[in-house]
Amino acid sequence: MIREVITDMLLALAVLTVAASAIGVAIAPDAYAKLHYVTPAAVVAPVLVALAVFVTEGLNVNTGETVVALVFMIAAAPFLSHATIRAIRVREAGDWRGHPPGEHAVTAEKTKDTEDTEERRRDSSRARETR
Amino acid sequence: MTSFVIAAVAMLIALVPAGITLARGTLADAVIGFELVTSVAVMVFALLAEGFKRPSLFEFPVILALLLFGSGLVFVRALERWL
Repeated sequence: MIREVITDMLLALAVLTVAASAIGVAIAPDAYAKLHYVTPAAVVAPVLVALAVFVTEGLNVNTGETVVALVFMIAAAPFLSHATIRAIRVREAGDWRGHPPGEHAVTAEKTKDTEDTEERRRDSSRARETR
Repeated sequence: MTSFVIAAVAMLIALVPAGITLARGTLADAVIGFELVTSVAVMVFALLAEGFKRPSLFEFPVILALLLFGSGLVFVRALERWL
């Protein structure tokens, strides 16, 4: 009896997690925000389902296979999220770093040149003061 | 009907908002909706296998969880390069 109650509670929590995630994906303003809501459904809900199977079945093959599926999902979720964000970023900005390829290097060189020039000016002014 | 089957059906019903996003959203939104739906499909397979007491069906969620990673990456790469 207690096992059934615990199982039902775990399953209800899993369903609520999935429902909340699905609603979050539907109402979030953009793709970056939507992706946040995939994580609970991909990580938290499978843990609850695996726990429900474990409570019902005990430690046997069925529980083991559910846990294997859970491990695959938990391992895949961060890589998939990262790849998705990267792809969306590339589509929007042309490069995942947020600027076209090569632009960053040019900016860095310009910054370095400016710093070098300022340093030279400071050195020359110090030299004048010393004289 | 056990609580596992009821939970599986409830999860499928709960996916309706994500399905709407998948069907009507932008391409990026659709890929995210696809990722959510496949994640939930893994759980639905596990719940149905437990609900109908078919131990052999527990292999489906394991295989689908593996394929979820590969298919997700393929979709994302296609989104990045060609779409």
